[in-house]
Amino acid sequence: MNRVFQGAVLLLFSFLLLASVLVEKEPKEYPKTYFLEQGTHETGAVNLVTALYLAYRAYDTLGETIVLIGAVTGVLVLVGRQK
Amino acid sequence: MIALLLIALLFLVSLIGIILSKNLIRKVMALNMLNSAVIILFIFFGSLKGTHAPILVGDETDIVDPVPQALMLTAIVVGICVTALALGFIYKLYERYGTTELQEIEQQVHRNDQ
Amino acid sequence: MRKTNILDVVSRKLSPFILLFGVYLVTFGHISPGGGFQGGVALASGLLLILLAQGPAVLKRTFSLEGISLVEVFGYGLFLLAGLAGFLWGVGFLSPILLPPGTIFILNIVIGAKVGAGITLICWHLFLEGEDSE
Repeated sequence: MNRVFQGAVLLLFSFLLLASVLVEKEPKEYPKTYFLEQGTHETGAVNLVTALYLAYRAYDTLGETIVLIGAVTGVLVLVGRQK
Repeated sequence: MIALLLIALLFLVSLIGIILSKNLIRKVMALNMLNSAVIILFIFFGSLKGTHAPILVGDETDIVDPVPQALMLTAIVVGICVTALALGFIYKLYERYGTTELQEIEQQVHRNDQ
Repeated sequence: MRKTNILDVVSRKLSPFILLFGVYLVTFGHISPGGGFQGGVALASGLLLILLAQGPAVLKRTFSLEGISLVEVFGYGLFLLAGLAGFLWGVGFLSPILLPPGTIFILNIVIGAKVGAGITLICWHLFLEGEDSE
């Protein structure tokens, strides 16, 4: 009985997931046109993705470096062995 | 349409893998696959309009949306860090209990409690 | 691990080219596809090829473990310094400056070194479990 209940919940969840993913969406384009026009002039980078994650959203990259330091410290504490 | 069905299939298979696996390392690998499925979903929804990569060589104006690609770069590195820390925890569990099967660990914990 | 001739020769001849490709991806990050994250992972995979095929002693001859740890730790300080350079020009923190080489070029190199060193350190400790001297 427990297995049937688990299977029914999983089936319901999968139907909800498929229904939410298959609906047609219309993407808006305001940031894209702004970056297309002003990106190269303001940052000096032809690669728009680099201009985004190093100039317009550089705080996210700063946070990601903090996450890397935390992960290296965590693995060092958990796995490292001192003689 | 086919791409959305495949991404949903990858998501569901990873979720079933996390819930129903009895080995700890398989759970962590399924978590990494779940991360990849969500990242692919974001980039797919960003690529529906436009034909060219977002690098302005020449006079291209019909580019794909660059914002999801820049956000998912950080998400990939964070997924690597989560997987590395989870594997470190599994190593500690293996040192303490001598196995990576979930049921044997539960049996040893129940025996230690009594 | 039992070493065969193919693994020995291929790992020694191929890994400098992988490192060179990683440096190319990092330094040409603002012109062609690539950037800090992609080049950093390529650099890490070049170093890990030597680590897995030859053993940790061969890797320690060129890249010491303390050196990689210093690159990982001071990369964060370099990132903050490159952001504070925006104060000298009157624009905000971490704003792009267009005098050559500009903050984007320097930040790409810092991110590439940091991600490469971080992933190498994580995989070093997970593969070797600290069996010889850290």
